[in-house]
Amino acid sequence: MFLNQLRYELWKLFGKKRTYMGFAMFFVAQVVILMVFRFSRASRGMGDLLETNGYDITSFLSPLTAACFTNFWLAYLLLPLYGSLVGGDLVAKEAEDGTLRMILARPVSRTRLLLLKWVAGAIFSVVLSLLLGVTGLLIGLPFFPWGGLFAFVPGELFAVFPADAGLWRYAAAHLLMSVKATTVMGLAFFFGCLPIKPAAATIMALSFIFLNFILMNIPWFADLKPWFLTYHLNLWQQMYESPIRWSRMGESLSLLLGFNATFFALGAAVFGLRDLKS
Amino acid sequence: MIRLKDLTKRFGQRLAVDSLTLEVRRGDVFGLLGHNGAGKSTTIGMLLGQVWPSSGEAWIGNHEVSRDRSKALARVGAIFEAPAFYDYLSGWRNVEILAGYSSPVTRQRLAEVFEWVGLSGREHQVVRTYSHGMRARLALAQALVPDPELLILDEPTNGLDPEGIHEMRATIRRLHSELGLTLLLSSHLLTEVEQLCNRIAVLNRGRKVFEGGLEEVQRGQDWVFLETDAFDLVVTRLMAEGLVVGSRDGRRIALASGVPVSGVVRRLVELGHPVHAIGRETLTLEEFYLSLMKEAPCS
Repeated sequence: MFLNQLRYELWKLFGKKRTYMGFAMFFVAQVVILMVFRFSRASRGMGDLLETNGYDITSFLSPLTAACFTNFWLAYLLLPLYGSLVGGDLVAKEAEDGTLRMILARPVSRTRLLLLKWVAGAIFSVVLSLLLGVTGLLIGLPFFPWGGLFAFVPGELFAVFPADAGLWRYAAAHLLMSVKATTVMGLAFFFGCLPIKPAAATIMALSFIFLNFILMNIPWFADLKPWFLTYHLNLWQQMYESPIRWSRMGESLSLLLGFNATFFALGAAVFGLRDLKS
Repeated sequence: MIRLKDLTKRFGQRLAVDSLTLEVRRGDVFGLLGHNGAGKSTTIGMLLGQVWPSSGEAWIGNHEVSRDRSKALARVGAIFEAPAFYDYLSGWRNVEILAGYSSPVTRQRLAEVFEWVGLSGREHQVVRTYSHGMRARLALAQALVPDPELLILDEPTNGLDPEGIHEMRATIRRLHSELGLTLLLSSHLLTEVEQLCNRIAVLNRGRKVFEGGLEEVQRGQDWVFLETDAFDLVVTRLMAEGLVVGSRDGRRIALASGVPVSGVVRRLVELGHPVHAIGRETLTLEEFYLSLMKEAPCS
């Protein structure tokens, strides 16, 4: 019964055109960034950086490097946007449209309905993150020879990996990216359980994320970084570090699990108390 | 089938439903009548567990809705004013989804219901292309698929054109006669309730001002119409003699308990008052409703 009802939620979610907005925009953004990277002086700049540090540019200017470079920025900016867009819609849009009232005339509990919706949102988040990884790689294949992975974030990260190690780290990073997408979706989902418009739920979730991001990046707050949600949301970045700090990874994962459970419990509590009227 | 006990709902300072007690019996077509804002939809919301009562109880069968919602609603279907659907999905898929939250749905059952509501052949079109009338039939289909015993209809004809209204009323009669459903119908349309229901409750500002059979309404309590010269003088004399206890409109009198119409006629003739016409009143629901509203006017 639960799986059947989850299937209904997935039909509803993936039957809407706006659900695909994230996929489409990611694809367009990836193509644009990769083309600019390939056919401008940007790739030469990256090559210089590699050569200065004693690495062979031909081994590392690869689809993996290009996709990693592209997806870094998309994961920072666009992934929260589309995660929160879908998360904010899951409850609030149905409440606004009136279909929620149609469902809640049925003998299904509010908590169960929320759980179904949250799981559907989590599935969307995982698919979006993994597809981001797959398309990034596929788009780069015709333009770069296969090779190692070079991950670089100014002042934060400089790492090179041979092709096989680079591929699994890239795959694992996208798997962890789905935890980020799910958490942002869960945050917007919580706001969507309040009696507000879906757009307001999305904006509130994004505001929360951006505020965390701003606070985390104020130099005087550097010591407080682990207290901010965005610090833990970026755990996928850890997969490009060498060696991987597993304790930090475990800490972030368990905290994100806690955040998700808290967002869901708060959402369920608020939603459970609401009067649903036309 | 439905029992409401002292059901009350406050939204902040506003009292939306005030100690409502009523009973809908199995097999009834029960009309919940009242002006806009009288508390009909809030009452239905509480009955479906969508609105939390401030106090009181709502029972469907042997289950109290707040405590045992899933069991209470297991054999209940509901149709709302302006039913909402997933417009980007087909009618078939909409019904499959909505009814699927009650119990698993078979293709055969879906096909049967689409046939019954007259949407066969259109079920695989996206709902965005449906007319108002088709959407109303789709609403009925999603309510019927889980095989309910009780159907709750909240202003089911609102937004329909005259043809659609006629069709919906005919369908409501079929639901009762062919499927044997108990129906709770909320409406502010007096003619609709008069045509469809056997029992009614009238709400005014959240309070029940009448509950009973439609026959009771039509009997018109003990009002008698009287056409005579000098109506007011006649009433004064009859009241002084204890034959009449009230009057209204300059042409209606309320007889005292046990006084027959023939007794009033005899006395009027004895007093020398001409009687042009006299008879027991058969009130229309509209007249009855308006008289109730006069007794407890809206602010």
